[in-house]
Amino acid sequence: MPVQVIVFGQLTDVMGNNPVMIENAADTSELIDQLNQRYPALVNKPYIIAVDKQIVTGHTALSGNNTVALLPPFAGG
Amino acid sequence: MITERKPKNIFTQGPIAASFIADSIQKHNTKTNIGGHSIFLGQVRADVIEGNTVKAITYTAYEEMALEKMHLIREEIFAKYPLVCMHVHHSLGTIAAGEICLFVFTSSAHRKAAIDACNEVVERLKAELPIWGKEIFEDESYQWKENK
Repeated sequence: MPVQVIVFGQLTDVMGNNPVMIENAADTSELIDQLNQRYPALVNKPYIIAVDKQIVTGHTALSGNNTVALLPPFAGG
Repeated sequence: MITERKPKNIFTQGPIAASFIADSIQKHNTKTNIGGHSIFLGQVRADVIEGNTVKAITYTAYEEMALEKMHLIREEIFAKYPLVCMHVHHSLGTIAAGEICLFVFTSSAHRKAAIDACNEVVERLKAELPIWGKEIFEDESYQWKENK
């Protein structure tokens, strides 16, 4: 079940502006492991994770068809 | 008074014009239960970093998430303060130094609610809305803005 990953802010310098599809990630930890292998520059970047626009922590299960967003520190205003 | 409020779009492409702000103030002259307005305007600052001057900030957002979050903030602010109304506008795209990128406008019968709510909305939207700013320098290099 593919999961769509989108990134914003400084993370677009690492992963670009287009969504990335990741196959076979059962939870957010597996997803991040796969992304870290594919984008080594991601490893030390600060960000929080949102699954379908809800901020999550820890190992959050992914059911497929989720959109996972990696959100670096906010800088509005 | 409980009123159903739909999520509003807070995003504007480009800078927020002074004339838009003036019109927004003018429109409140029919709401005669208002006794005080509070307005915060955010302006793009030409920071100098190691001799390089910021000429603009390019704002991007996770818009759907930001609008959902702003809706929740709006509900909480209305529950906490006796406001008559509240308006929030944030720029997206490239905003030159000296231009307005944020407009928060709260109104209440008495000043304290408007002032306190305005402050709280500004603090919360800076901390909680998924918005990012790319500071563009005069030599076209850039760095990602960090909120202090």
